Amino acid sequence: MAELAYSSAEDAALVRAAQKGDTDAFEELVARHRDKIYARAFSMMRNEDEAVDLSQEAWVKGWQRLAQFQGDSSFATWITRIVINLCLDELRKQKRRRTESIEGMDEETGGVERQMPVVTTNPTERLERGELRQRIDRALGQLSHEHRTVLVLHEFEEMEYKEIAKAMDCSIGTVMSRLFYARRKLASLLADLKNEND
Amino acid sequence: MRLGLICLCLFFVAALMLSTGSARAQSDGSATFEALLVWGTNDAKTDPKFKPADPALAEKLKKSPFKWEHYFEMHRENVKLKLNEEQTIKMSRNCVISLTNLKDNQIKFELFGKGTLANTVTQSLPKGQLLVTGGDAENSTAWFVVLRRVE
Amino acid sequence: MTEEQQLKLQTFFDKELPEKEAREIASWLARDADATALHAELRNTRQALKGFEPELKVPESREFYWSKIKREIERSAPARAPAEQVSLFTSLRRFLLPLGAVATLALVGIITLHQFGGGVVRPVPVNAILADAGAFTYRDESQGMTVVWLSYPAEKKLADSPSPDTLPAK
Repeated sequence: MAELAYSSAEDAALVRAAQKGDTDAFEELVARHRDKIYARAFSMMRNEDEAVDLSQEAWVKGWQRLAQFQGDSSFATWITRIVINLCLDELRKQKRRRTESIEGMDEETGGVERQMPVVTTNPTERLERGELRQRIDRALGQLSHEHRTVLVLHEFEEMEYKEIAKAMDCSIGTVMSRLFYARRKLASLLADLKNEND
Repeated sequence: MRLGLICLCLFFVAALMLSTGSARAQSDGSATFEALLVWGTNDAKTDPKFKPADPALAEKLKKSPFKWEHYFEMHRENVKLKLNEEQTIKMSRNCVISLTNLKDNQIKFELFGKGTLANTVTQSLPKGQLLVTGGDAENSTAWFVVLRRVE
Repeated sequence: MTEEQQLKLQTFFDKELPEKEAREIASWLARDADATALHAELRNTRQALKGFEPELKVPESREFYWSKIKREIERSAPARAPAEQVSLFTSLRRFLLPLGAVATLALVGIITLHQFGGGVVRPVPVNAILADAGAFTYRDESQGMTVVWLSYPAEKKLADSPSPDTLPAK
């Protein structure tokens, strides 16, 4: 039987080999997707060390659960969901240890997003892609964990409201409120950042 | 050896008793819940149309740390939920609750006041237990949402 | 614009509204300038985020990153003992007495429970997520009651004082 050429093999072939215990095939999958998994963890945790730890934990769990991967989704999607769940668990643990700021509580329940003026300028206008990327990254960092998580799951993972509600163990109404707040806050932050540099 | 066989026979008798005698939940995991909206007040003179709460419930509420003397049942809803099924119930103009029937006698209870999530509780709620959520109402009165498992 | 309208507009924007409601919102959008402006803001924000993934690289070399994963995989792999060649009768007999002992204990337990019925109140594990920071949870074992008391002021009217028009229609 021809030896598997790992670097040119498709994910499906690597997964099949890994499911039979081939750690070299799994290592190729890790190399291929590690940046994306790390980036997802960093988007949610906003901490480099935590993102590294959680992404590695996701890979270990992925190996342990490889037999359960049936190919219903792509391997990348499957492993991304594992890291998302790990990040959500970690955020819950941190929330229990952390005191929420009063401002955070008001933002959660006070409806401040309804009073924000509508931002009429388009932040993508006249901005280089790299600069826009930096601004979005800064703006995301200013959101609370809950608001950022909803935004990441909806906009980057393209999850529906009910999927997000299930993942975050909250109601659909809460998902909608948080998403709305996150979007309005982000628009406002991007407009402020744009104005700083005008 | 003989002792082991005797004990094994006793085990099967025990298993039979368990399966016939002690199943509280219906075999498919569905359950029926009752939700009450209750008003608590110290004012003895109230609208005669108000329905006093069930005496046993009123007694429990009085024995708790609450200060109110009189309790009235304002609204009652019964809902049957399959396992993992969720249902939203309007208890009053401003008060909506959401119930999810979970496995192992667990329920998830969410209370919304004017569309805002006020609290979420996930806990075991076997038959005979009550989950009471309450808060202040106008004129030093109080409102309660009382939840119990009927079957 | 009410909160409900804003959230409905968002749901329309996210294509999660049923068709009939979506048509109503589309029609409202066409004639309401505020709604149109908010819709545009949502669209611009999405456009800004589209394709944005932090161009992040794992801050460790491939080999180092993998070495930690591999170590953990090997550490958590279950050890396998060599299989014993035992006859079926012997293996059954080995379990018979302990299984019988467990069965006896189970029977005693069941009889005890049936005798004392509902008088035993077990602690009820509660997992409460309180959006209200001033709220508290109180457990009364003797009454079989868990109480969650919210600290919202009466004026906030989380639930109304009784009057006929505040209660749902029968």
